[in-house]
This record gives sequence, C-alpha cells and structure tokens, in this order.
Amino acid sequence: MFFLITFKGKRECSAVLYELKNLIKTYDQRTVLNLERLSLEKNKILGLLGPNGAGKTTLLEIMAFLIRPSAGDIWFKKEMVNFTNGKLMDLRRKVVLIQQQPLLFTTTAFKNVEYPLKIRKTPRAKRERIVKELLDLVGMGMFMHASAHKLSGGETHRVAIAQALACFPEVILMDEPTASVDVENQINIERIIKEINRKKGISVIFTTHDMIQASRLADETLFLYEGKVAQSIYENIFSGHIEDDSKGNKYCVLHSGLKLLVSSKKKGPVRISIDPCAVKLNQIERDFSTHNSFKGTLLQLTNEQSKVRALVDVGIPLSVLVPKEVFKSLHLDLGEEVRLYCPEESIDVF
Amino acid sequence: MDFLIDSFLSALLLIWSMDHELLVIVQVSLKVSAISTLIACVVGIPAGFLIAFRPFYGKRLLITVLNTLLAMPTVVIGLFVYAFISRRGIFGAFDLLYTQKAIIIGQMILIIPIVTTFTIAAISRIDDRYRKTALTLGANIFQTALIIIREARFGIVASIIVAFGRVIAEVGISMMLGGNAKGFTRTMTTAMALEYDKGEFVLSVALGIVLLMLSFGMNVFFNYFQGKARV
Repeated sequence: MFFLITFKGKRECSAVLYELKNLIKTYDQRTVLNLERLSLEKNKILGLLGPNGAGKTTLLEIMAFLIRPSAGDIWFKKEMVNFTNGKLMDLRRKVVLIQQQPLLFTTTAFKNVEYPLKIRKTPRAKRERIVKELLDLVGMGMFMHASAHKLSGGETHRVAIAQALACFPEVILMDEPTASVDVENQINIERIIKEINRKKGISVIFTTHDMIQASRLADETLFLYEGKVAQSIYENIFSGHIEDDSKGNKYCVLHSGLKLLVSSKKKGPVRISIDPCAVKLNQIERDFSTHNSFKGTLLQLTNEQSKVRALVDVGIPLSVLVPKEVFKSLHLDLGEEVRLYCPEESIDVF
Repeated sequence: MDFLIDSFLSALLLIWSMDHELLVIVQVSLKVSAISTLIACVVGIPAGFLIAFRPFYGKRLLITVLNTLLAMPTVVIGLFVYAFISRRGIFGAFDLLYTQKAIIIGQMILIIPIVTTFTIAAISRIDDRYRKTALTLGANIFQTALIIIREARFGIVASIIVAFGRVIAEVGISMMLGGNAKGFTRTMTTAMALEYDKGEFVLSVALGIVLLMLSFGMNVFFNYFQGKARV
C-alpha cells in the first residue's frame, strides 16, 4: 500500500518513495502548500484529492523537481533533494509529470514520443521500435505520423502518456489525467494507468476532484485542503455566510439561498463541508426535523463498495453515501423526489 | 512613360546578361548584409531569450530602450560609428572606415535591437508548459532552451527576415561608413543613389529589380517555413 501519514511517531522505512518534511510553498506571500510530514510508498497508485486551490498541482510540480519549495525538505528514495546543486536533471529522469492539459511539441506524435529517447541518446532503430510499441500501448499507433496539434484532448493525453513512458520513469505524476476528456478516453486513460502500474511497476500519483475515480483507481487516497493534508475527506464544499436569528441560532446561508442551521462561532463569509455519510436520505413523506430538512430530486446513483452514492438536487447538488441495505429498503428510483436531513454535526464550518 | 519602359527593359537586359558590375554590387550587398544578419542573430537571439526568460532588475527599462532603438535612423548610427572608427576615433588605429567591416558594424547596431525585440516577443508568447514538459522529459537547460526556441521559430525566423530586409535596403550606414567605393564597398542601395545622381537610371532600375526579387525570395521562404512550422 501507499503509505501516507502525518508522521508523529516512528519513521516508516520500507520502500519509501518520497518523504516530505515541513514543506512550504508560497507565491507572493500566499502559502499554497504547507505539509508537516508526509511519506509516500513506491509501486502503487496514489490519488491526490482536493478542491481547486488545494495545492495539488504545486505538490506534483515539487515532486517532479520542477519548482523549488519555499522551505522544508524532500527526500526521494531516501536521498535528500538539493534544489540548488544543479543535479536535478538526474532526478527528473526518474520522475515524469503529465500536466493537466499536456502540451505536445509542434511536430508529429511519433517525434513527440521519440524526444525523451533522443535526448537520452538511444540508437535510432531502438527508438523507432520503442515509440511504435508505446503508441500502440496507448492505442495511438494509427496516429503515429499525425500532427500533434491536430489531436483531440483525449488523444493528446494518450500521446503524452506514451511520451512519459518513453522516459522509462520510476514515477509518473499525473495532474487531473481525465479532467478534460470524454468518457471513452477516460476509460482508456484509467486502463493505461492501471496497466503501467501493474505491468511495468511504475508508481503513479494522480490528482483528481473525482472521489469516485479516486476510489476506483487508487490504492490509497490523500486529501489536500488549503495546502494541508486533511484528516477527513471534505466533500460537498460550498461557500456562504453566517447569519444569526433572534433566538441566537446560527445559520449558514449558501450562495444558492439554501439556509442550514450550523454550530459555529464564525461570522461573515465561510465555507462549509457536509459529510456525505452523515446526511440522512429518505422518502419524500418522511420529515426528520424542522431544520436542515430539504426536499430534492434524486439525480444520480453510483455503486461505491458497500455503499451507494446518491447525488440529490436540493437547490445545490448534494452527495450522500448510504449503506446498500438501507438504500434497498428505501425503494427509491432516479428522478424521484426525496427528503434529505443534514444534522448540525454533519456540517463543518471553516 | 516611354522612358520608364525603356529603362526597365534595359535593366532586364542588364540582369539577363549578368553584367559584371551589377554582379559585384549584388555580391557585396549580400555579403555584408548576410554577415551582419548572422552576427545579429548570434547576439540577438540568445539575448532575447535571456531577457524574455530571466527576471532581473531593469528588465522593463531595457526592453523600452531596445524598442526605442528600433526607430533609430541609419544616419545616426552612421555618425555614431564614424565617431569611433574615424582616424580621430578611439578605434581609428584599426583603419576600419570605408571598409566592408565598417558597414557590417553599423548594420549590426541597426538590427541587433530588431532581432532581440522580435525574439523577446516570440519567446514571451510561448506557453510555459513547453519548458516544464522539456524539463520533466529529462532535457537539460540547453536542450530546454532549444525546445523553446524551436517552438518560437516562426517568430524568430520572422525577425531574421525583417533584419536582413532592413540591412539590405538601408543606404545611410553603407554610404557613411562604406564610402561607396566601386567594387569594394558599393552596395545595391548606394549604387542606386549614385546612378540616380548621375541621371543613369538603367543600373538603378536593374538593382531595384534585384532588390525586389530578393525580397520576394525571402517572402517565399518565409511562407514555406510558415507552412512547415504549423505541422
């Protein structure tokens, strides 16, 4: 398993890929990453989850040795990384980053994949064989001589994966690999990720917003929020502001107009996270409470191990995780009206 | 009108007969212009790359100065270089005045700002993801720079063509620093000016046709390259 912890006790030593200690990255005095301690094990698939601005891309770029952290230390395979001694190229040749929207060079798909081999001085005949094999692996063999800039988003992603594989890396970092591709390409890319990990033993670290994708693909997931590793997974994140009523109750009024009773000492603009496991789903006739009980429409159902994830439109799309047995007993169908209850303790205000 | 047609036909005949004087003038022009453009590229492209990529104190001021130099008249450069290379100048001992080297020096000063500013513009437009992609694929700093220059090649080649066009068509520097010595520092433009003064239009028109043909040739090459660059 990918081993990830915020170290507080003894240090895990077996097959450690990355170790990060007091890692801070700031841009214009804004801290975008602040990781106390983090350790990642090799040969696995790790999903980095988090909303926009959580620091996922910054973390990937630091792990790809493309940007220097503002403070803190990073070890790669137990060797401390020195970002100032000009030896980063050796490390970069072991780790490759595929950006969220990969940019291929202005030439053919073949020459793009050939580039890493060329700069490693691989003989021409060997280069041609490897490029063909890799393009076939990602299902792009027939586009070998196509202009890279004429490929679709999904095809570009697949060529970028082949290009990364041509580096024969130990680690592939992928920034939202399926963010801008259609379902067919998404399936293809997920298949390739699994294949390169299982067959080639390459460690894969990818970022995503998609909880379902992370649970489907990753051996382990790590949740980042505001540059820090979050202990619990934040979902259903919304912005709003706190209002008091005459009885002293505090409500969070979301931008959509939805009003939720919360227990928080905060005032003014806030963000909230609603725990999908703590939200109660029921038939429309059932009313749980006068507060935080909402009528909605069942939009989407997804199978998630022992649970069912239901997406309910209550003015905002709210994700709810219900045990399978409970869901079966409710006899609910897609498009049906349902009632949701969000207990105060299910709402985290920050 | 007849006069113009006559001059034009005589000029075509002169070109067709490969007139020796005409060929020498064209050769001198091409030689000094090619050398000055080459040196301007060697200096201007890396300079433009560094200015575009490296943050440093006074960068904006430097770019403003370079942009200002784009509008510098050739006679001002002629005067400026003359002050340095004339017998009384600090480089007077090198005996550069009225030589092809003097023309090359003046032309370099004229076009280095062109190549540099065009390169800055071309490199600045290149997406930073190209740099990151090259680095993460294992390229060293030099290979990364080559990738960026390659992606910006369309803009950079445009700068070279503009620079070459500027020097081959300029007259002030060639006249002031070259002295229009026949067979030695006489370029197409200085020869045209001289023939005009003498009232001999045939050679002038012939040289004008050659100049336009060169310009057309450069544009054909540019369009061909543009097509290639978009692969």
